[in-house]
Parts: sequence; C-alpha cells; structure tokens
Amino acid sequence: MHAKVKPEVKRVSTYCYQCVNGPDLLTVETVDGVATKIEPNFDLRGEHPADGKVCVKPFGLVQKLYNPHRIKKPMKRTNPKKGRHEDPGWVETSWDEALDIVADKMNATRAKGVMDENGNPRLAFTTGGAATPFKYMGSFPALLFAWGPFDQSLGAGGTVKCYHTEHMFGELWHRAFTILPDTPRCEYIISFGMNIDASGGVTGVRRHADARKRGMKRIQFEPHLSVTGANATEWIPIKTKTDNAVLFSMLHVLLHETPIDKLDVPFLKHRTASPYLVGPNGFYLRDPETKKPLLWDNNSNKAVPYDHADADPALLGTFTVADAIEVGADEETWRHHRVEGATGLEKTRQMLADKTPEWASEISEVPAETIRRITGEYLAHAHIGETEIVDGRELPYRPVVTVLGKSVNNGWGAYECVWAHTMMQVLVGALEVSGGMLGSTTHVAGDTDWERSLTVEAGEDGFMTHTFTPTDKEGWDANPFTRHAHNSLTPMGGSKMGAQLFGSTTLAWLRLQGRAAESWPKPNPPDIWFLYKCNPAISHSETDKMGEAMAQFPFVAAFAYTLDESNHFADVIMPEATDLESDQLHRIGGGHYFENHWESEGWALRQAVIEPLHEAKDFSWIANELAKRTGLLEAYNGAINAGVCGIPLQTDDYDFSLELDKEHSQDEIWNAVSKAASHDLTGGKEILDLDWFRQNGFKTRPYSRLNWYLYHRLEDLGLRFELPYQERYYRMGKQLANRLHETGVHWWDKQLEEYEPLPEFKDLNRLWDEIIERNHDVKAGDYPFWLLTGRSMQYAWGGNVGIQLMKEVADNVYGHDGIVMNAGKAREMGIEDGDLIEVTSPVNSTRGYARLRQGVRPDVVVMIAQFGQWKMPFAKDLKRPGLNALVPMNVDSLDGGGSSIDGTKVYVTRIGAGL
Amino acid sequence: MTRYVMIADLNRCVGCQTCTAACRHTNATPPGVQWRKVLDVEWGEFPDVQRLFMPVGCQHCADPPCMHVCPSTATAQREDGIVTIDYDLCIGCSYCTVACPYQARYKVDKPEFAYGDLPTENEAKRFDERTLGVAQKCTFCSDRVDAGLEQGLTPGIDPEATPGCVNACIADALSFGDIEDENSNVSELLAENTWFQMHAELGTEPGFYYLWDAEDKRRQTEAIDLDVQE
Repeated sequence: MHAKVKPEVKRVSTYCYQCVNGPDLLTVETVDGVATKIEPNFDLRGEHPADGKVCVKPFGLVQKLYNPHRIKKPMKRTNPKKGRHEDPGWVETSWDEALDIVADKMNATRAKGVMDENGNPRLAFTTGGAATPFKYMGSFPALLFAWGPFDQSLGAGGTVKCYHTEHMFGELWHRAFTILPDTPRCEYIISFGMNIDASGGVTGVRRHADARKRGMKRIQFEPHLSVTGANATEWIPIKTKTDNAVLFSMLHVLLHETPIDKLDVPFLKHRTASPYLVGPNGFYLRDPETKKPLLWDNNSNKAVPYDHADADPALLGTFTVADAIEVGADEETWRHHRVEGATGLEKTRQMLADKTPEWASEISEVPAETIRRITGEYLAHAHIGETEIVDGRELPYRPVVTVLGKSVNNGWGAYECVWAHTMMQVLVGALEVSGGMLGSTTHVAGDTDWERSLTVEAGEDGFMTHTFTPTDKEGWDANPFTRHAHNSLTPMGGSKMGAQLFGSTTLAWLRLQGRAAESWPKPNPPDIWFLYKCNPAISHSETDKMGEAMAQFPFVAAFAYTLDESNHFADVIMPEATDLESDQLHRIGGGHYFENHWESEGWALRQAVIEPLHEAKDFSWIANELAKRTGLLEAYNGAINAGVCGIPLQTDDYDFSLELDKEHSQDEIWNAVSKAASHDLTGGKEILDLDWFRQNGFKTRPYSRLNWYLYHRLEDLGLRFELPYQERYYRMGKQLANRLHETGVHWWDKQLEEYEPLPEFKDLNRLWDEIIERNHDVKAGDYPFWLLTGRSMQYAWGGNVGIQLMKEVADNVYGHDGIVMNAGKAREMGIEDGDLIEVTSPVNSTRGYARLRQGVRPDVVVMIAQFGQWKMPFAKDLKRPGLNALVPMNVDSLDGGGSSIDGTKVYVTRIGAGL
Repeated sequence: MTRYVMIADLNRCVGCQTCTAACRHTNATPPGVQWRKVLDVEWGEFPDVQRLFMPVGCQHCADPPCMHVCPSTATAQREDGIVTIDYDLCIGCSYCTVACPYQARYKVDKPEFAYGDLPTENEAKRFDERTLGVAQKCTFCSDRVDAGLEQGLTPGIDPEATPGCVNACIADALSFGDIEDENSNVSELLAENTWFQMHAELGTEPGFYYLWDAEDKRRQTEAIDLDVQE
C-alpha cells in the first residue's frame, strides 16, 4: 500500500493580456505541476480599481493550456497549392528546421531589398485586438525593428471593428485614442451604443457598477438592448445609424434653446477655439503681422490675436474686422479689409439652426420630448461653475459624459458623431476635467500608451501640437509606403510609430484583390507575412474574398496554438508558448485604454506557471533564434536596449543594457528589463531582478489622479482645445485633394468631401442604400434589416472560440447561439424561436437559429461575437453564423479616414424548423 | 448562531459569467454543470423592455425541500445553514432534483470532459469519481469556509474563507456572510437595500437574497413575479 502523498500546491502570480484592457493580474493554482485554477490576485486589493480581479476570459486559459487541439510541434506545409478547400498537408517538423525555413526566407528577401518594386515593405506583420498582442509578444517586436520597414496594413479588422474616428479626432482634440468617463465621479452618461459592461474590462464593469450604486444615471441609445443597456437607467431603441441626428439635436437644444450663460462660458472663451473668427473662405481670420487667429474682444471692441492679454472674447456673433488675412491650402492667402468674421461657435450654432429635436425625431424615431428631457438632465448634472481640488490643483467639476460605441464612432457619420459628442462636453466644460470626459492613451499624437500628458505641448494657433502626415507639396508622399497607403491617403493617422495602424485596412485588402485604387499599381503580396493572434480570414469583412487574397501570398509564417482559418494559408506554423507558459514584464496602472485609469502605476510579470507544454517556445526565444539566423542580432539587441521591451535599458541614470554582439537568453533580457523598470519606478532606490518579480508578481507606486486630466496642463500652457471649428482639418483636406488630383487620383474624392470644418449632417440610411445599389446589382429596398453585432465579453479578442468553457458560459448570455430578432417582427414573418433562418446581404448569406427577443428593434437582427469558423477545432463544429462574411468591402463604404462600419443591410428568410 | 447567506445585487450584475467560470474552476465541475450561473432575463414588450442578469444556484434554504425528500439522508443541513450532500450516502434517486424549486441540482452519470472522452491533464488531476451518479450542487464552497475558519478568517471578508464565485465577481455584485451577525457585511447590505428572495411564497426561506432597487422606475417589478420587501 502506498502512503498518500500530499499534493504540491502552488500559487503563481501572472497576468492576462487577452484584450486591450489589461494586463490584469491573476493567480494560477498549480497542483503537482498541473495548472488547475485561475483566481484573482488579491494582493492588488485597494490598488487595482477592481481589487485584483479578472474577467471571465482568463478562466479559459487553463483549457487553452491543455487543449488537445494545440499545435504541439512546428509544422510545415507540403501542399504548395493554397486555398480554403486545399489540404495544406501539414507535417510536423523540428524547431531547427522551422526556424531555418523562416530565416532562409528572411535572408533571401533581405538580399532582394526590404522594399519591393512598388516601394512597399516586403515583410508584413499582422496581429489582432487593436494591436494589443504586439505589446505582449516578448522581444519579438525588437526583431521587427531590427529588420527595418515592415507593413502593418493587412489588418485583421481594424478600422471596421475599431473606434477609428474617435482615435483620429480624439487624439487631436484631447489626446484620447479612446475616451472614457471619469466614472468614479460621473453622474450622468449618455451612451450611443457603447457597450461598456461588455467591453470595459474588469475596471470598467466595477466602476460602472459602483457608479450605478451611488446613483449615476446612464441613458443607452442603441437599436438592441445590449448587456450595457440592460443596466442603463433608460434604453432608447434608436433607429440604426441615426445617432448623428440625435446628437445634433442635443447640441441644438444647448445652443438654440438654452441661454448661453447656462453653458460653461469661461471654458468656451478661454479653453476652446469657440471665439476664433472665421473668414469668408472658411479659414480663420488672422492678424496680418503675426498670422495668429483673431477673436473679437468685447473690452476693446475690436479684433485681437487669440492670446491677447485680458481680452474678453466674444463667443457668438459676426464682427467686422478692419484688417485680416486668411491662410488656406498650400499657403494660399487672402488679404481682407473690413471683412466679416463669425466666431467658430456662431458658425456651429448656425449649422445647427434647423437640427431641432422634432427634426431628429423624424429621422431617429426618438421622441423630441425625450431628446429635450435628456439634454436638460445632462445640463443639470453638469454642475457648471463648480470645482474640485485634485492633489492641490483646482479643476472644474463637470460629471457628465456622452460616449459612443463601435460603428457610431467609425465609418460614415462618425465624424459628425465624434465631433458632436465632444461638443456636448465642450459646451458644458466637461472635457478633461473632474467627472467629465477623459482620454485614455495616445498612439497618433505620441508613442506612449502610459502617460499621455507628456504629449501636451504648445503648438500652432494656441492648440496642442499634432503629427499629421504632411499634405503640403514638399512633404506629401505620393508613393504609398504601405499597401493601404496611410502615408498618402489618411493624414489624420499621423506619422508616429503607430501611424500604420490607422490606415484603411479595408483598402489594403481591396487593393490586393485588385478592387480599388485603379490609378495605382496593384500591390504585390508581401514576400513574408507574419501572423500572430489574429484571424483575418474570418474577422475582416467579405471573408470569402479574404481567403482568395491570402491564398496568393507566397510565404506566410504563423504563430499559433491551434489551427485556424488564417493559418490554413500558412507555410510554417510555430507554436508559441501560450499565456500561462511565457514570460514578459509589462507596465500596469497609470492611465490607459478604456476604463483603466488607476491611482497607482508600475510593472507586473507574466510568467510561465508551468514549463511550456509539448514543443511550444517562448516568443523571446523565437526572436533570439531568428535574430541569430538572420544576422540581425546586434540590431535586435540594440532595439531591446532602446526600449522596445517596454523601457530603455540605458539612460543617464542607469545602465542595464545588453551587449550588442552576444546572444542573451530570455531570462537575461527580462532580468535587464526588470532592473531598468524597478530603477525607473523607484528613482533608483530599488533595483529588482527577474527573480524578485517571479516571487512578488508586481511593483507599484502611487499615480496622481491629476494625471487623469489634461485641463490643467492646457491651462498652464495657455492652450485651447481645438473645437468646435476644424480649420486645420479643412486645410489638410484641401491640400490632400490638391496632391491626389495632381497625381491623377480621383477615386478618393468622396472621402475628401468629409474634410469639412464643421461636419454637415448626412442621412446615413440613405447613404447606405445608395452604396448598396451603386456597388451591387440589387435594390436597397429588398434589404429591410440592419445586421449588427454586439460585444461578447466572453469571446472578444480572446481567440478563444475553441475553448469549451468559454462556449459554455457564453451560451448563458442571450444571442451567442443564434441570430437575435425582434419577436413580433419574426412572428409576422412566420419565424418562431429556434427556427433555422437565412440572413442575406448584397455579398453573401449565412444561416443560424432565430433567437426571438423583445429587446431589439423590428428592423434589426443581431449576431453576437464573431463566429463563422470553418477550420478551428471545436469552433468549427459550433456552426454559428458570423456577421463578417456578409459585410461588403468597397471603397464607397470608407469614410474620409478610411474606416467603415461593422454592419450591413440584409434580408431574412425562414428556412425551416430548428433542431 | 451562524447562518451563511449569499446576496446578489441585481443593480450591479452584468451577466458576465465570471462567477460561473470561477465556480467551474473552484469546484472542478464537469462541462455543463454550473453550480453557479447567471440567468439572462427579459420581460416586457418592445419597446418597453427590461433585461436583467440574475445569479442563481442552490439557495441553501432554511427549510430545504430537497432535504425532506431525500430517502438516504444524504442531503443535510449544517448548523451554519449550508445544505450539504454526502456523496457516500446519496443513492442517485434524483428526488431532490425534482423537489428543488430552484433547479439547482445536477446529476452526472458518466465522466464528461471538455474535449471528448478523455480528460485533459487538469481534468484528470481534479476528477472525483465520487461525484458520478449522485446529486451535486453549490456547497457555498463549504470547504473554503471551513478551511478559512480554521485559520481564524472571516467568511465573506477574507478571500481564503469565501466562496469562489464571490471572490471572482467583477461587479462586486455577490456577497457572502453571516446573516445572524447583525454587524456583518450581508446584514448591513440587507438593512440598507431593498431585497427579495426567489419564490419566497414557497416558504423555503432561501439563504440567497437579491438586492433590487424597487424605487427605480425603470424596474417594472410588478411585471415579474418577485416578492420585493422593503
């Protein structure tokens, strides 16, 4: 008889990095070396806004670890013919051979030159989840930087499935790649489809729950009753794509039905461009000497430069200016004597004159009295005039916010909506102040995603600096650098490190398919395409054509833990160590992304809770091996030293740098990063190594809440938020039009129309009908439903549709197992709950089981999450319908910034009874 | 005396199912066996519709129907109110499953795993043959409660002594504690909020309370059959 051996139980600290909200710390229990449980990390109680808890997704990581469908060894393709219906003929191989295959391809490509004959990078890299995985793939990014130019334009769904217009304008206006309410203080939120209780991560859910408990009101405008709508004070089933009308009418109520002195007059006068005078050509009237924009000074009763001391700027009205100039596109200049100039706010007010609640009601089916009531409540909760002391600094206290969801804040109409909801903040002074609308992080204006206030610098015309891609004659680049031509077409994306991510991924795929940009040569596929943690074959739009394009790619190297629809087209698959098998130090806290503003900041370690299973390898090991085999070791080490792994390893204060010409193990790399990070965090008082982080998990220090806001930074620098009038944007659009037309490009003209100084209202339902009829041989009236999607907290960004536990728990949330339809409408059509139905768009159709609900408009159907898998084990057997296959890709559907919405018009047919 | 109860704040719960997943981890239940789960409830007619999320599971009734019908005395009640099942005594007759008004009990007759017939390594490590062919349900993580008490910890306050679902709840919607202690976290919550018990009319005296803001006009409480108490 054997004596019973007590199992060895350990708890290991690590973090989840499956979505943009993280990293969120957790602990993993191991029993005799087997990972068994995910639990919160309560050591972070009181520091982490959700007290060290993690959302539902990481609970799938244990199954991910032991998933029998894992790719256990590197694999290589034996069937050179690629296609959805071709068997790749995978055979297992050694790491040595797999790395040699990839390195040989890299070396051969490098020998040809890193750029192809079209001037596009020969190497492309794609990842999903708002590029989140890029930040968590160990030292691999250092290899890419060592390589040189690489193309990130072949997106997995970005610009369709992101908050693209919010990213562009949010960063211009207030360094807000995404926006968030100051939820811990906010009293009143108007949400147009933002599904924060599914998308906001643990801190978002916790903060909103706490806020509701203390009485915060949340009004949810959305065509279906989402998870977030369920907990809203009111759900208002707005007609799809009419958010711009309601928002404009709310501004109408504030500017035409509310006395100006009920708004935040000091904020409007001194912290915005509201008083800047606009001339007859649509540009600011400027002082002829200094070229500074002019405003009308009520004290001296004359026009003065915007920074004139002691001026009392006029907010509304039109004034006669004695002498002024306007500077238009390409330095075109008009000289004026006795010229009329209206203030930016006056122009705004005039544009909104006929946008009454009654007008909006006709369009949106939201009652006019509801619009007036909500706008009134919003104004009442704004606490105009009140202040709060934050860490010794007096800030305005304005606890009201208007937020937007996906497909409201990207695609046609998003410029109107993003501008209007930011103007809702501006009129009551609730931008970047206590209780109001805050920004999260910066990728356009800066390269830092942990301290956006560092990007606040004085620029031209009293605004913050910004890094638009040049559109002037000297600066504009006529040659598309990337396959989506971000440098030539979409200047709002800027020219910083992340600029490529803001180009139109749809355009890149359309060009590769030979369906767009006819005056430019069809781009070559990349010679080498790296794929990691994304599945563009089914996550982008019009997915049938995605596969056809990917089948043309000559060499695809995928990092993967299971087969999927995209690595089906790969030549080599490399199994990287999964979430619980790999190491990386990463920043935590501070302020970044959706609702992740903390009052502490620091660093946390992701660590292998067990040794990697099978032959999975840590990303940093893979990067090391490829760096060696491609002769890039020195540049790779240099990139790590420069800070690609999160922090520079050498500064004036410390030196933990790696020797350039030597190979360093992954432990050596992260040990150096640990020391640099802890030195930086503690001001040199503590130098903590990798072992310390392995034992303790994380290190933090206090982070002032004052850093959540930008108002005081602008006040200190005498700057203004660049609202309401968009003179720079207007000028940029005209210059871009000049450049494109000079080079014979006219297929972007519709997009150029969007470069308006104030966004004119567009009837988006009519616009979509026109797009459908123009691009497909159909009648728009035959497509009476909008097909929309909804965020699934259980699945979003997890790449986890093949995880049984996720499927099981997600099925408790309505709609995951079918197609949501309005019950009354369905029964009118003879459709009962569970019936098999077919949903058809102008480009494709899909089938699923009808799930009848009352909480959805009769003219809307909803497919939650992203399904449609045909290859991924487990997921393919679910046979669940996905929206993506049905969403058309065409240039018409792209807005000025190159984004389009995550939805389409469809019709619905009953096929038969369900199972 | 001690009586442990659980509270779910319906104004907080977002239906994320983190508690469901955490329960599956904590108690190593097989696929589909969710001692804790969250219902997604809708009522009303478009456009006047409400949706709420309602955590459910064994209610640990003071007068548990499941216990009364159990022919083998496998189902019992501890002094602290937790309703238990002794797997060694259970004969798998399922009377209790039928008698439970809350559909809280499961019975699994053969091993079931996430991916086919074979267990994954973690499932093999935690497989408990005793759970086959017998009734099973939420235990209020009594093993955690007991282990915590042995260390002098307070259930519902100290995570090591608290049910896994409560620890995991990201909305802070779930609470656990001793209702007999008038100063406990749960007593305070019940004193400060409007609450109801599910199917209170059956007289089972559930040890599970739902906080519910009846004052909020958006909640048409009369539209669903809930006994809201001030």
